Amino acid sequence: MSTSPSDTLDDGSHEAPAEAGFFARMLTSVGQPIVELYGIGKGIMEMFFLTFYYLIRGRKRWSAIFEQMHEIGNRSVVFIAFTLGFLGMILIYQASFQAMKITGDLQLLGALFMQLLWREFAPTITALMLATRVGTGMAAQLGSMVVTEQVDALKMCAAQPVEYLVVPRFIASVVMTVVLTLFAVLVSYLAGAVTANVMFNVNYLTFFNFSFVSWFDLIIGLVKALAYGTAIPVISCYAGFAVHGGSAGVGRATTQAVVYASLAVVVLDFLISGVGFIYLIFLA
Amino acid sequence: MAQLKTVIESPLSAIGDRFLQWSAEVGGMVVLIGQIFVRLNPFKLDGPETWRNMYRIGVKSFPIILVTALLTGAIMVIQSGTYIQQYGAYGLLGWGAGYSVLREVGPILIGLMFSGRVGANNTAELGTMKVTDQIDALRALAIDPLGYLVVPRFYAMILMMFLLVVVGDFTALLGGAVTSQYMLGVDMELFAWSIVTYIKLEDLFHGLFKSIAFGFAIAVISCHFGMSTSGGAVGVGRAVNASVVGSAIAIFVIDFIFTYTFL
Repeated sequence: MSTSPSDTLDDGSHEAPAEAGFFARMLTSVGQPIVELYGIGKGIMEMFFLTFYYLIRGRKRWSAIFEQMHEIGNRSVVFIAFTLGFLGMILIYQASFQAMKITGDLQLLGALFMQLLWREFAPTITALMLATRVGTGMAAQLGSMVVTEQVDALKMCAAQPVEYLVVPRFIASVVMTVVLTLFAVLVSYLAGAVTANVMFNVNYLTFFNFSFVSWFDLIIGLVKALAYGTAIPVISCYAGFAVHGGSAGVGRATTQAVVYASLAVVVLDFLISGVGFIYLIFLA
Repeated sequence: MAQLKTVIESPLSAIGDRFLQWSAEVGGMVVLIGQIFVRLNPFKLDGPETWRNMYRIGVKSFPIILVTALLTGAIMVIQSGTYIQQYGAYGLLGWGAGYSVLREVGPILIGLMFSGRVGANNTAELGTMKVTDQIDALRALAIDPLGYLVVPRFYAMILMMFLLVVVGDFTALLGGAVTSQYMLGVDMELFAWSIVTYIKLEDLFHGLFKSIAFGFAIAVISCHFGMSTSGGAVGVGRAVNASVVGSAIAIFVIDFIFTYTFL
């Protein structure tokens, strides 16, 4: 981006900058983010459909998919176990403290915790963690490839960058998000069980009560995990491919990847929870 | 795959290696905290730089935090709504959503967004300066890079995280009130009454204290990883990754410690 042509253009269009003042600036400050957001949304949707096209039409390279699965799944296990384990301990501690104060009865603690974990916390917090760890990783990797012109080299070899780079990450991420969500439920629940036993003397047999979890909860949790697993790689790869301008550009892309991926997770969470709630209350 | 091989071949050396890496990072952070506190003694803060950072950190992340907080409040109301509907205890909806938002979910989610938006940005910026030798250039000009770059960011981050959680808490309650009115059909007034009646001031302060600790942790971690970046554009990406992962772990651990100590 050279500045000199735009400067000359600006001189032509802004006849009276002093009069344009407040109102024009207000309109700009409202309109500019909208235009920017529209561009980003369009880019992400394009990336999504392109990925989908090559997912169906393209050749699958299993070695690359397994490599990405190792990168996304195995290397996040410790991180997920750590964060979700602490989350389980925190939630159980707060919940049992309140329950002790109000009813003094912790019989249903484990059952309710399992239900909430499936519906909300395990998929969403896992996805937020993956958005930070995997999202930055993907954006940084693809961004450095763009900066060092490796993506252009791929295009020169008549290899589609989306098919070659994004599709394996997409498949690996969808599979591994579901697997890690299951793992997160397990870790959180065990951490919660130990906390409840040590701090509040809840028997393990009382805690391991799955009677509240219905098919609906399982399906909602899996749908959420699938949706997050789809959104995270597409958004991060979009941010990675949009890099320009050396190491500063790579840094900016990683930031964008985390922010947009986390926002996407929260928005999808709201949408899916809302649809599930409406189904549960009005249709079932 | 190379890493997997070493784990299988010599597990002890792999564990020790990982342990030494972690120790080096934690030690670096402790040294950074020490260096920041040493600069308290003749208290000198670069005013314009702090002001500029406060604008970039606080004002620029305002929209993202608002959206996150609105949706968080809405989600919490939806999740507690199923139980409330089951038992017909509509008066407890504001308590259920408000308590979880103010104490746990609000600070955690806003902290995670803050670490993604601000912490990652900060690491990327400092890392880029490091790999392009700008920090050495500052040193060559006899400007203290820590005093000029890190200390203003440190204070700006703690202050802005606190203020953003204050705003975010109220936005989340607003989002919850709107959701309860239009999705559950629970009147906004009842929701507000429930919050005012059942939620104590200490619930709010519990979350706000947490937010200060989160801001401190994110500031130290992101500055540490930014200042110890090496290896070009790839190194900047790696530093940002390490920074957000470290911040997320720190947020959950600090949250647990706070909950355990102050409940």
